[in-house]
Amino acid sequence: MSDTRTAAAPVAVPRSPRPSATELASRLLAPLVLGVILLVFSLMSKNFLQADNLLQVLNQSAILALAAAAMTIVVRAGGIDLSIGVSLDLGALAAAALIADGYVPGVAVVGGVLFGLTAGLVNAFLIVVLRIRAFLATLSIWFIGTSLQQVLTGGGAPIYLPKSTVPDGFAVLGNGTVGGLPVPVLFAVVVALVAWIALDRSRWGRVLTAAGEQPSATRIAGRLTGLSVAGAYVLASALAALAGVILASRTYGFIPASGQLYVLDAIGAVFIGATLSKLGRPNLLGTMVGVLIFALLANGMNLIGLSFYWQGLARGLALLLVLLTSVLLARHRATR
Amino acid sequence: MSTALETSPPTPTTTPSPTSAPGRPRRRGTPAWVGAIGYLVVLAEVVLFSLATDRFLAPENLFNIVSQGAVYAIAGFGLAVVIITGGDDVIKGGIDLSTGVLAGLSGIVAAVAIQAGLPTPAAVLLALVVSALFGLVNGTAVVLGVRPLLTTLATMGIVGSVTFVATDNVKIPLNDPFFDWLRGGDVLGVPTPVVVLLGVYLVMSALVGGSTWGLRSYAVGQNPVAATVAGIRPTRYIAGSYVVSALLAGIAGLLLASRLSAAVPGIGGQILLDIVLAGFMSVVFSRRLVVSITGTLMSALFVAALANGFTLLGVESQWVGAVKGLLILLVLAVAAIRERTVRR
Repeated sequence: MSDTRTAAAPVAVPRSPRPSATELASRLLAPLVLGVILLVFSLMSKNFLQADNLLQVLNQSAILALAAAAMTIVVRAGGIDLSIGVSLDLGALAAAALIADGYVPGVAVVGGVLFGLTAGLVNAFLIVVLRIRAFLATLSIWFIGTSLQQVLTGGGAPIYLPKSTVPDGFAVLGNGTVGGLPVPVLFAVVVALVAWIALDRSRWGRVLTAAGEQPSATRIAGRLTGLSVAGAYVLASALAALAGVILASRTYGFIPASGQLYVLDAIGAVFIGATLSKLGRPNLLGTMVGVLIFALLANGMNLIGLSFYWQGLARGLALLLVLLTSVLLARHRATR
Repeated sequence: MSTALETSPPTPTTTPSPTSAPGRPRRRGTPAWVGAIGYLVVLAEVVLFSLATDRFLAPENLFNIVSQGAVYAIAGFGLAVVIITGGDDVIKGGIDLSTGVLAGLSGIVAAVAIQAGLPTPAAVLLALVVSALFGLVNGTAVVLGVRPLLTTLATMGIVGSVTFVATDNVKIPLNDPFFDWLRGGDVLGVPTPVVVLLGVYLVMSALVGGSTWGLRSYAVGQNPVAATVAGIRPTRYIAGSYVVSALLAGIAGLLLASRLSAAVPGIGGQILLDIVLAGFMSVVFSRRLVVSITGTLMSALFVAALANGFTLLGVESQWVGAVKGLLILLVLAVAAIRERTVRR
C-alpha cells in the first residue's frame, strides 16, 4: 500500500554486498546530525561539552529514552501507541500515591508498573481482539486515561511528597547515582539493551517484526501474530509505566498530564532512528540517537539562552531535516 | 498493509455516501444499517440529553453547540480530505497533525496584523495565506516521501513553537467589527457561525462528493497504483489535500479566535484531538465505513454536543474526556466487528 510515498519501505531488493555511498550516507544521517549539534553548541557555549553537562543531558533524556524504547517496540509491530503518556502518568500516579500512603518502595514500584500496564492490556484487547486500528484505539485510551487521572486526583491536583517522608529506596530511583552514573540513565541503558535483545535477538522479536511488516503472511505461516502483538503493547506500557515511576521519584510527586509531553517526541525519535536501519525498521540504537538529538538540542538551546518556546521549532526542523534528506537520498539511489 | 485488506473491491460507484443504495444491485455484504450506526448514536445522544435537561434543546444552547462544533467540523473537513486522499492507514496513510496548531496560528496572525494596523480583509487574507503556505510545506514533504504522520508532527512542533514565540505566550485581544460579527452577528436572521459552517460544508461536500477532484481523491487514497494506471497523478492530489486542510484549519482558527474574542497561544494543541476525532469518527456515518464530509460534520457536532450536554447536567469536566473516549471506543468497536463479519 502507498508504495509511492514510502520510499524507505522494507522491500527486499537484491543489493550488492557492499552498501552504496548514498545508502551509507542516508543511514549515517542521524548520527551526523547528532555530531553537528554537538559541534555547533560546543562552539557556542563553553559549558556544553563539560562532562557534568553531558551527564546532565543523559539524565534529562532518560525518561524520554524509556518512553521511546516502548514506542520502538510498538512501531516495530506495525502499530503506534499514543497512550504511552497515559501509562507513564498512571505509573507515576500510583507510585506517588503508594509512597504517600507509606508503603515500602518495592510495593510502590511494582504497583506503579502494574497500574500503568493496565493501559497496555486494554490496548492489546482493543487492537488484537476487537481489531480497532491502533491509532484510534490508543487515542481513545489517551482521552480516557487523561480523564481518569484527573478524576483520581480530584480534578487534576498534583501530589507532592515531602522529601523527608520519601524512603531512600524510592528517592534513589530518580536521584541516585551508581559509580557516578545517574540511576535513571542506568535504567534507560538496561531497558534499551533488553528491548534490543527482545526485538532483534529473540524469536518473539522475529515474529513481531514479521507481524508488523507482513501480518497476513505471518498469520498464514502459522505464527501467533495476535499474541506477540498483544505482548508488544503490554510491554510498551510496562516500560512507559517504569518511566513514570522514575519520574515520580525524581520530581518527588506526581503532576497530572506530564506524560503526554513525551509521546510525540518518542514518535519523532523512533522514526529518526528508523533511518539508521538498512530496511527502514525502527531499532533501539537509532531510537537512542533520536532521543539524544532531542535532548542535546534542548540542553544546548537552554545554555545559549534561547527561550523554551524555540524548542518545538528546533525539534520540528531537526525531524523534518533528517527525514527529508533520508528520503531524498533514497530517491537518488532508486533513480540511478 | 492493513489498508490493502480493508479497501473493499474497487467499485465503479462514485459517492461513498450511504445514499447510493436504492436502484443499484446490492453489493455483497454491507447491510444498509451499517451506515446508520453513527446517526443512531447521535439520535440517542440528543434524546438522552433533552430528556435529562430541558435547556439542552433551547435555541441559545443549540447555537452554542453549533458554533463550538463549527471549529472542529471545518478543520475536520480538511483532515477528512487528507485521509481520503492519503488512505486511512494511520502509520503510512494520510493524516494531518498540524491542523490544530495551524488553526491557532491563523488566529494569531490575524490578531497581530490587526493590532499592527492592517485593514481587516488584509489581515484575514494574510492569516489564510500563512496557513496555506504551511500546508504546502506539508504537501511537498509528503509527496517527496516523508510519512504524513511524521511530516505533520514536525510542522506541528514548528508552528506550535512559532505561535509561542510570536506572542510570548500572552493572549492577544481581538476587538474588530468583523470578528464581532463572526461571533455574534447574523445573516438574514441566521447566526454567522452557523452560516459559515453551512457554507463551508456545502462547498466541501459538493467538492468531495460531486466533483472529479473528489472522486479522484478517493481513488488515489484507496488504490494509488490503480489510480496511477488510470492516468491520475497521485502526488498532485496528495499535495493538494494538505493545502486544503491547512486552508480550512485557517478558517476554523479565525472562527475560534472570534469565539474567544482573542487569539490564544497554545489552544491549537488542545483542539487537535477533537479535530482528529471528528475526522476519523466520520467512518461510522457511512455504509462502507469510509471517511466523508457529512460524517465529519456529524461527529464534530456529536463531540461538541457531548461536552455541552455534560456541562448542562453538571457532570464535572474531568469525566467528559472519559465518556468521550468510551463512546468512541464503543462506536469503533461496533464498526470494527461489523466490518470484519461483512468481509468474511
